[in-house]
Order: sequence, then C-alpha cells, then structure tokens
Amino acid sequence: MELLDFYADWCGPCQMLKPTLEEFEKAHPELKITRVNIDEEEELAEKYGVSGIPCLVFLKDGEEVARKVGVMPLKKLEKVYEKI
Amino acid sequence: MKKYDIVIVGAGIAGMTAAIYAVRAGKKVLVLEERVQGGQIINTINIENWPGDLGVSGADLSQKIYAQMVELGAEVEFDKVIKISVDDEGFVVDGEDDSYKASAVIIASGTEPRKLSDEMMKDVGKRPVSYCATCDGALYKGKKVVVVGHGNSAEHEIKYLKGICSEVYNIHHDDPIPADAEAIFVAIGRLPLTDYLKGFVELDEKGYVISDEDCKTSVPGVFVAGDVRTKNLRQLVTAASDGSIAATNAIEYLG
Repeated sequence: MELLDFYADWCGPCQMLKPTLEEFEKAHPELKITRVNIDEEEELAEKYGVSGIPCLVFLKDGEEVARKVGVMPLKKLEKVYEKI
Repeated sequence: MKKYDIVIVGAGIAGMTAAIYAVRAGKKVLVLEERVQGGQIINTINIENWPGDLGVSGADLSQKIYAQMVELGAEVEFDKVIKISVDDEGFVVDGEDDSYKASAVIIASGTEPRKLSDEMMKDVGKRPVSYCATCDGALYKGKKVVVVGHGNSAEHEIKYLKGICSEVYNIHHDDPIPADAEAIFVAIGRLPLTDYLKGFVELDEKGYVISDEDCKTSVPGVFVAGDVRTKNLRQLVTAASDGSIAATNAIEYLG
C-alpha cells in the first residue's frame, strides 16, 4: 500500500497536515508515504488529476483506491485508511 | 460523559484565544474542532496585520497559538459539533463521536465559503471548483480559469491568479461559466457555521449569532467569539479580542 501526498511549500493547509501525516506514518510502517511537491513534479500531479491540495491518494498495487482533498485530523485519516 | 467548566466550539483564533484566557484562570477547558486548528487563516501565506510578527504565515501562527493553548493546559478533541442542549447541570455538547458536559459554552465555529448554486454546478460539470486561489491556483499555471464573484475577496483572487494563469475571466454568481475555463474559483462571500445552533441561540437572518461587544448570546452561559458573531470587522485581532471577552465573561458566569 502506498500513499501519495501532493503538497506545495506555499500551501498553508498542507503545512497544517504535515504533523498529522508524520504521526500517521509512525503508526503505519506498512504504508509507504511519498511526498510529492507539485511545483517540482507537475507531471505527476497532472497524471493523477490533482485539482486541489493537500491531496492524499492511496494506492494499492499501483491502483488508486481512495482520495482525500483538504486538511483533516488524524482520527479522520485513520477512518479513511480503515475503510480501504 | 466528560465534564468541563467551559467547552469551546472551534479552534480558530477566537476559540484558541478564549481557551488561553480560560485555562489561565484555572478553568477546565475543552476545545472542539472539526478539521484543524487555525480556521480560515491557515489559507493565508503572509500576514501583515497581526501585531508583532510581520509576514508570519497563517499556518505558523495557528501552530504557535495551538501549542501555547495546549502547553497552558487546554484539552482538544477533533470532533464535529452537531447539537448543543441544556440539562440540569448546564449544557450538553453533542459531537459526531462523543458528547461533552459543560457549565459554560463559547461558540467560535467561524464561517465557510458560500457555495455555488446547484444550477451553476450543472454548468461547471466535471471541472474542478476551488474556494481558495492561493491554495489551488498554482495547479492551473498557464491555463484559463474563471473567478465567480465581485467583492473584495474576488478581486484579491483575480489579482493572484493573473500572475499564474493565461486568462482569468470574472463573472457574477448567476452568469454562465465560460466554456473554455478549466477551473472555477469561487469568491461569493462567506456563511456562518451555525446550523447546529438553530433553535438554541438567537441567530440573525443570515445565521450569525446575535451578540455585541460583550460576546453574550440569548442564552445565559453561552458566549460567542470571532467571525460567527454579528459584527462589522472580521479580522484576526477582533477574533482574538472576542476570545478574551467571551472567556472573561464565561469565567464571571461560572463564579
């Protein structure tokens, strides 16, 4: 399972999500989290059709299984992950 | 059910300032937040009107105030408040996940952007809609976009997007959306987040909690702070100001 975290340095909500994601990462060593800076990796952002950030895309065997746009508390993130 | 002296709804600048004042007065305080601390200000990159910290980002300022509030002893739960009611001992604040007892309540739930009408959404089709140009503008580099709205915030969004996009159209909230616009940015005002308060405290015709500078509502023991209150100037400093007044009056109410 992989999680793509589309963000930008100038994005306030992305900064607010960062500590939440770090905690989430610690709790889930089985999950590979890749941070994608949309200014540096425009092609990847376009490939995944990212239209707003922060944007979290969960991948299972390379296939998208869930997507969440916007900042959310850890509890919500855990719920999203549980459902997958 | 956990019991608190003061339950504060919303961890924006108003709610967090209220919490700081209340815990410093020795009260047991819970702050309930649906999404993330900071509120609307987290979308602002560069703040120039918060005294003492020129150019601070909304995200940094929010984290600082949050850390201060927690350090001083305020508790925080991430839960969306759906109802507040009165019981024998005070108030019951119902969240989606849990319920909390409070002897006094401070409402600081803020506002949200007014959404496009269903009719306009049909016109939008599958194109992305954003309520924050500074958040999402960079995803439309060199592309054609449209800004819906004509107020100060719409002007601000247009100015920002003109530096990024190849074309920035501007329309009213009931105009057709240009066919070649690849994204729709909406700035047609804000609405108070007070659905959970209907029938509990007095709201004005737009849904703001009716109060004046004393931050008292129509219900004794329930106070209001920040953008969700009827007022003329909605700014960081007036949110903080409300927070201190609401907390001070809540403390006095508790005796």
